[in-house]
Amino acid sequence: MNEVSSSASSRPQGLAFLELGERLRQRGQYEAAATVANAGLVHYPALADAHDLLGRIRSDQGQDASAISAWRAALECDPGHVGALKGLAFLSFRGRDFATAERYLEQASRESPHDLTLLSALDKVRSARPASAPEAPPQLADLSSGLLLFDGQGMRLTGGIGPGSSADVADAAAAEGAGLVREAGRVTRLLGLGAWQHLLVEGADFRLAAIPVTAEAFLLVSRPSSMPAGRLMATATRAGLAARDWLERMT
Amino acid sequence: MSLERWPQILREITGIAGVRGALIVSTDDGLVIAESAMESVPTSDVAALTSALVSRARKTAHAAHGAAPRTVHLTASEGTLLAMAGPDPLWLVALADPHVELGRLRVLLGDFAVSLA
Amino acid sequence: MRVLEPWVTEPLVEFVRESSARVVLVMTSSGQVIAQHGFTRSLDVMAAAALGAGILATTGELARVMQSPSEFGAVVHQGEREGVWLGGFDTPRGRWIALAVFGRESSVGLVRLFFQRFAAQVAAAAPPPVAVREVLAEGFERELDDSLRALFGKV
Repeated sequence: MNEVSSSASSRPQGLAFLELGERLRQRGQYEAAATVANAGLVHYPALADAHDLLGRIRSDQGQDASAISAWRAALECDPGHVGALKGLAFLSFRGRDFATAERYLEQASRESPHDLTLLSALDKVRSARPASAPEAPPQLADLSSGLLLFDGQGMRLTGGIGPGSSADVADAAAAEGAGLVREAGRVTRLLGLGAWQHLLVEGADFRLAAIPVTAEAFLLVSRPSSMPAGRLMATATRAGLAARDWLERMT
Repeated sequence: MSLERWPQILREITGIAGVRGALIVSTDDGLVIAESAMESVPTSDVAALTSALVSRARKTAHAAHGAAPRTVHLTASEGTLLAMAGPDPLWLVALADPHVELGRLRVLLGDFAVSLA
Repeated sequence: MRVLEPWVTEPLVEFVRESSARVVLVMTSSGQVIAQHGFTRSLDVMAAAALGAGILATTGELARVMQSPSEFGAVVHQGEREGVWLGGFDTPRGRWIALAVFGRESSVGLVRLFFQRFAAQVAAAAPPPVAVREVLAEGFERELDDSLRALFGKV
């Protein structure tokens, strides 16, 4: 490794230095990693990935200001660089600047819409926002809430499918939902997958998440497809807790 | 896409760490059309049960939104089942460990499912 | 649901519930009815049992003619609205046949899956075979009547 490192730091061969620098960073050899990254930047000053690597190294070293400079340089080279956006979001989050963190993550999410780690991070940032801007608490009893609580027999306990939907639609969805969760239980039982935790059903313009609330009650969360899958699952988890509270109050 | 490409697609999916098996399933009759899986995976059972789950998902989605599902994703404590609609009645299905790279699997399955036609 | 052999009841109840089969007939390979679910007329049962046993015997013969290394385990007829599954399985009482009619709420795959479980459960639950006595023509007819009475309450 030393021989390769020496060779790479003095004369980077193509873009191999990126991998080497990252390996050194992961091993905690930060100064060696920084040497490799800086040597690479001499040859490739407009390479966003190289600035991003340096940003990660400096961030690991706790040198936030240097990390921010590196990531901003990366964004100058490539305004949509996901790694740099993630890095800046992370530092903003660590500095409790949740709004900025959210902005960076949203931009990264637009650049990489299938990256579930981004969606998960977005949800974490949003859930960490101070109480001054809370998300509206789940309104279970509202037909337009998109939260439908039903029992294992397919009877609606409370809630509905979403704006504009009627009680009849909610009842029908509860009736079919019971069959769906029963099937989910059967699939996991017969395939030896353990206890089922959630079921996501996605269409062209909707997403449905079903979760078990108790052994006898289930929650169906309905949202438009514009809501990312990761965020829907986080919403369903929170709504599940609210549903459990609701059931305890009712019994 | 030619049928000859299907085994290659399934192998690519099972190449993702944590994927135990990948199948092309006919949800009309719950039978396996093509598969690539570890020996321990009961592919016939997976096909039958996934088809039943997709059928239930269809009914629920129709009752709630009057529309058809394109993806069904079941997460359990010891595994995950992901199914994406291809040309009717085919669905592309993957059975995986809980720690699978889900984002990558979703993207790959989605790309391949539409290309089955 | 009517069952002649009580130990078949539990596996059959599970098979009907899990496979969503509309009609099920369990019989010996010679067409003697063991259990039925969903039939309303004794005549239908007799005809279905005879035809089912005949079809499976025919496909078995076809396999032999084609020099197939193993006989065909099951035959499926898929219609527009309903399908028929006809499968043979071994029990300590000899080879039995199950006929299941299923609709759009089920599928071939699902019936196949739970048929396999049913066959395994029946084989495991079966008591040791009893000595088979020679059946005379009149005795056979009386036994048939008794069986149908048990399956439908009266004939």
